[in-house]
Order: sequence, then C-alpha cells, then structure tokens
Amino acid sequence: MTNVVGILVTTIILGSIYGLVAIGMTLIYGALRILDMSQGSMVMIGGFVGWAILVSASWNPVLAILIAFAATFILGTLTELVSVQTLMNKRGGIDFEMVTFITTFAVAMILENVALEIFGPQQRNVTPVISGGINIYNGIYLPWQEVAMALVSIALMGGLGLFLARTRWGMAIRAVAQNLDAARLMGVPVNRLYPLTMGLASALAGVAGVFLGSLYFASPTAGDLPLLQALIVVIFGGLGSLAGTVWAAYLIGLIQATTQVLIGDTWALPILYAIILIVLIVRPQGLLGKPAEARL
Amino acid sequence: MTGPGLFPKMNGTRWGLSVVAIALFAAFPLIYNGQYVLSVMVTTMVLIVLNASWNFSLGVAGVWNFGQLAIYALGGYGAGILMLHAHLPQWICILLGAAFGALVSVIMALPTLRLFGIYTSLLTFAFAEIVQYAILNDGSGLTGGSYGFPMVNGLFDSMSPDGQMRANYWLVLAVIVITTISLAAITQSSLGIGLRAARDAPAYAASRGLSPIKMRLAAFAISGFLGGLAGALYLVIEQSISPSAMGLTAMSIDVTMLVIGGLGTNLGPIIGTAIVSIVQALLVTHPGVELTVVGIVLLVVVVFAPGGLVGVGSDLIGRVGSWVDEDDVAPAATEPTPAAVGTSSTGGTDVAE
Repeated sequence: MTNVVGILVTTIILGSIYGLVAIGMTLIYGALRILDMSQGSMVMIGGFVGWAILVSASWNPVLAILIAFAATFILGTLTELVSVQTLMNKRGGIDFEMVTFITTFAVAMILENVALEIFGPQQRNVTPVISGGINIYNGIYLPWQEVAMALVSIALMGGLGLFLARTRWGMAIRAVAQNLDAARLMGVPVNRLYPLTMGLASALAGVAGVFLGSLYFASPTAGDLPLLQALIVVIFGGLGSLAGTVWAAYLIGLIQATTQVLIGDTWALPILYAIILIVLIVRPQGLLGKPAEARL
Repeated sequence: MTGPGLFPKMNGTRWGLSVVAIALFAAFPLIYNGQYVLSVMVTTMVLIVLNASWNFSLGVAGVWNFGQLAIYALGGYGAGILMLHAHLPQWICILLGAAFGALVSVIMALPTLRLFGIYTSLLTFAFAEIVQYAILNDGSGLTGGSYGFPMVNGLFDSMSPDGQMRANYWLVLAVIVITTISLAAITQSSLGIGLRAARDAPAYAASRGLSPIKMRLAAFAISGFLGGLAGALYLVIEQSISPSAMGLTAMSIDVTMLVIGGLGTNLGPIIGTAIVSIVQALLVTHPGVELTVVGIVLLVVVVFAPGGLVGVGSDLIGRVGSWVDEDDVAPAATEPTPAAVGTSSTGGTDVAE
C-alpha cells in the first residue's frame, strides 16, 4: 500500500512537470511543423533565472516565475526569428522539418555554451520555491515544493488549453495547425503568429525550469535530460496532439515512478527507452497521433 | 549506369587535384614532425571515416539515423574484445569489428522501416542510449564500464613513437581514400541513385519498382560497416575507447561537421570535419566559446547555404567555369527528383529485384 501511494504521488508530480516541458514542443510541432530542439535550453535558462532571483537577489518566488516566463518568452521569440523565420521564404526547396531541426539545435548549442561561459560548469543549488512539506501516508514525505510544481504545471496546461480554445490568437494557432494555407487566406498573420507560438511554448519550458532547477540544480547542461524526456513524451503521445501529450506525460510519469519505487532510480531512463522502442515498433504514430501522418 | 563501377566517374582535372591532395597529405608527416599536431590530425581523420559513414545513411539515404555513434562504439568494443580474448591477428579483429558494426546497423534499421522523419531519429537515438547505458553499467568486466575499455596493443608497437604516429597517420589516410572512393562509386551506382530517389520522392521511387526495404538495409549495412571500422581504428590508435565516445556532445559535434561540410556530398564530411576540428583545436582552452562559435557557424551555414560549404564551393566554381561534375552537389539543395528517378529506371530495377 505504501508503494502504491508512493507511485501515485510520484506519478502526478513527474507527469505534471513532463507535461509542462513537453506541451510546448507539441504546440510548436502542431502549429509550425518543426521540432524545437531549443526547448531544453529554455528549461536550463529558467533554472538560472530562478537561481539569480532566488539565491543571488533573494526576491519573491512568484517574481522568479514571472521573470523566467518573460525572459524565456523573449528568447523563444528571438529563436523563432533567427532559426525559423529566416528559412520561411525558402520553404519550398528544402526539407523544412530537418533544416529547422538543425537550426533550433544550433540555437540550443549556442545558448548552452553561452551559459557555460557566463556561469561556469558547476551545478548551483537553487533554494526551494516553497520550503517545508507534509507527511501524507506511512512515512511518505511530500515537499510543498513538489506540490506547488504539480499545481502550477496543471494550471498552466489548463490555461494553455483555455487560451487555444477561447482567445482569438489561440484560435489562430489552431487554424494554422489545421491548414496553413487556408489560415493564411483567412487573414491569419502567420509571420507574427509563429514567434508568438514559439515564445509561449518556450515560456512554459522556462517556468518548468525554475521548478526543476530548485528540485535538482541549475547548470548549463540542466536542459539535456528534460529535452530527451520531452521528446519521448511528445513522440509517445503522437506529434502535434495536445491531449496525447498530456496522457503520455502522466503515463511516462507512471512508468518512471514504478521503476523508481520497485527497481531503482538508475533503471528509470533505460526502461523508458526500451518501452519507447517497443511502442514505436508496434504503433509508429504514438498514442493519439494520426496514422496517415506517420506512414509513407 | 549499371552496377557500381570500381571508381567514381570524374573528369581529369578533378582526378588530378585529388591525387595531388592525397600526395600532399601523405608527404606531410615526412616534412613535419610536431607530435601534437599529428595526433590531432590522426584523431580528426578517424572522425572523417566515421562522418563519411554517417553521411551515407543520413545524407545520401536520407534516413534520420542518430544511432551511428553507437555503431561506432560497438565496432570499437567488438574489435577490442576480440583482441583481448580471441588471440586473432589485430587486422582480422578490426575487420570483424567493422562487420559487427554492419550487423548491428542492419538490426537497428529493421524497426525503422515503418517509421520516417523524427520518429526514426528517436528510435535510433533510443537504441544508442540503451547501448551506452548497457556499457556504462556493465559489471562483468568485458567492456570496462564507465572506466573505458582495458588497454589494447597498438598496431605498430614495435616502432619508435615517431614511427607509430606516422604509421597510424598513413593507415587512416589510406582508409579515408578507400572509403571516399568507394562511397562515391556507390553513390553513383544504381543503388546510390535509388537511395537518393527514395529519399527525395519516396512514393514515386517505390511506384517505379524500387524496394525501399532492401535499399535501406543495404545502405545501413554499408554505413554500419564503415562506422564500425572507424570505431575499431579509434580503438587501436587511442589504444582504448570509453562510452563518452558516443555521448550527446560527441554526436552534436559530428552532426555539425556533416552539415557545415554539406550533407549528402562526397567531400562534405572531409571538409566539415577538418574545419570544425581546426576551430576546436584553436579554441581548446575556452570550451564554452569553442562550441558557441561552432553553433553560430552551424546556424549561419544552414540559413544561408543549406547545401553546406561543398554546395557553396561548387556553386562558385560552377559559375567561374563549368567543369564541376554536378553529381557532387547534394540533390536536396538543388533540383528535386523526377530527373534522378528517370535516369535510374534502367539500372534501378535490378536493385529492387
């Protein structure tokens, strides 16, 4: 019973944070048809913003989250302008998906190494956003920090859902995701929409970075693992499907929590990869992806 | 063009230039004796073999294969385990390591046949991560785990240190020459034309009777053999190999090399690897600056010259004179396929049979 409660609690917390990191990637893939490899760097930058605000300046945690949101929003917008917008008018002649994969990857490499030059390679501890915790069941201790992380993630994912469903810009993003040419003909300003989408997605990753930074460390390579996990979640759920991403995030959280509790922490990632291998072989389009998209 | 010719078709000027370049590189260690520079060059040249092999599956066949570094490492580990435990001549161990790379590569290619694009990259990458994890956590002592492989003998241990360095240099140079010539010949053969056709217009190529499955398996066998060979060479030259040889950083740098040089071109891996290695060697004391510069160069090249430096070069030369063979330019950067598929229809079918 203790194990079951432990697994469930860990699942909700891991799943929420995976969802927050991965939902930005899904949003970008859905609207722009590119896989944004710089999302991991946004997590890393969120971590350093958290460190700068909470440790160096010892300001309010809410402020840390807001500044991280703003900073990564701007960076994400810039990333789009540099790595996607420059290729837009060449869209016909090149393999757009592969080329933008490489350009966003180059941006990630630049951001990571600029951070390495500025902050150095050492890992920095970030003070928890909220300290303390609660004993929930039979010795399972739940820090408030992790509760806050899960709640903020769920709130942001819900907010994103509302934004896409209700607002003009949200509807424009969905229109572009459904049919780029038709959306253009209806007067959707694609050249402004793309930076907005990528900024928004990056900002979500940045907020996730503040929490992940205080959970683990802030360091220049702190974004690598979240990027890999987000890739797994996104592909597991089916590229471009928001609902699929949320499902996949919690499912992968469950797999990882079960492995951690029953087998051990070091096996969590390899078992995840093995499961992904099997899923891709059996169901190449992911959980909720559209088959036509993934097959020749 | 039926069947691979022994040598790629090039005109006389290009053959002449190639022979002069090879002769200059072969003579270099006789004139220059700085051990540090030579060792950096040998390491770079091993990477050229690896990148040429990766270029074949990623660039020519257009499969998003991100497991090539696992093949590379497995070639090295396979050869090393044979050297320590099987008492075979080292040359045989190296070739068997390469064959092991080909075998693993084909096995890795099987599940990718139903996938494309980014799904392929995740599957191959997951495969590489599992291989790395298995080696890092291997407690049996066979691979040495995270400490790296136990030391093996060099190929030329009987020689003086200077002589060993030269012998290694010439060995890898010879491998590069043979690799590049064979890959160029294969790329021009019906198999190569079929691969490029399936890359640029998969549905059209398949409807013209090309079997994507057989071609992809053949491409991965070739790419895996050369990747494994590069790994085995790395092992005997460095006399060890460690899991970091297949890490994420190493992979990022190798991709950069390929893209900067020109993905899918014959000379791209050589030029890209050389340039990035020179940048790395010059900035070796500032690791952050080094990779920032590499990243910026990568971004600029992709945005302004998607064909890589080889593409830019042949554009320039093509404008000055018209003697550049147009086969050398990456087709992805130039015209799409109907023409290429058309020419392959005679030779291409025998691949599919």
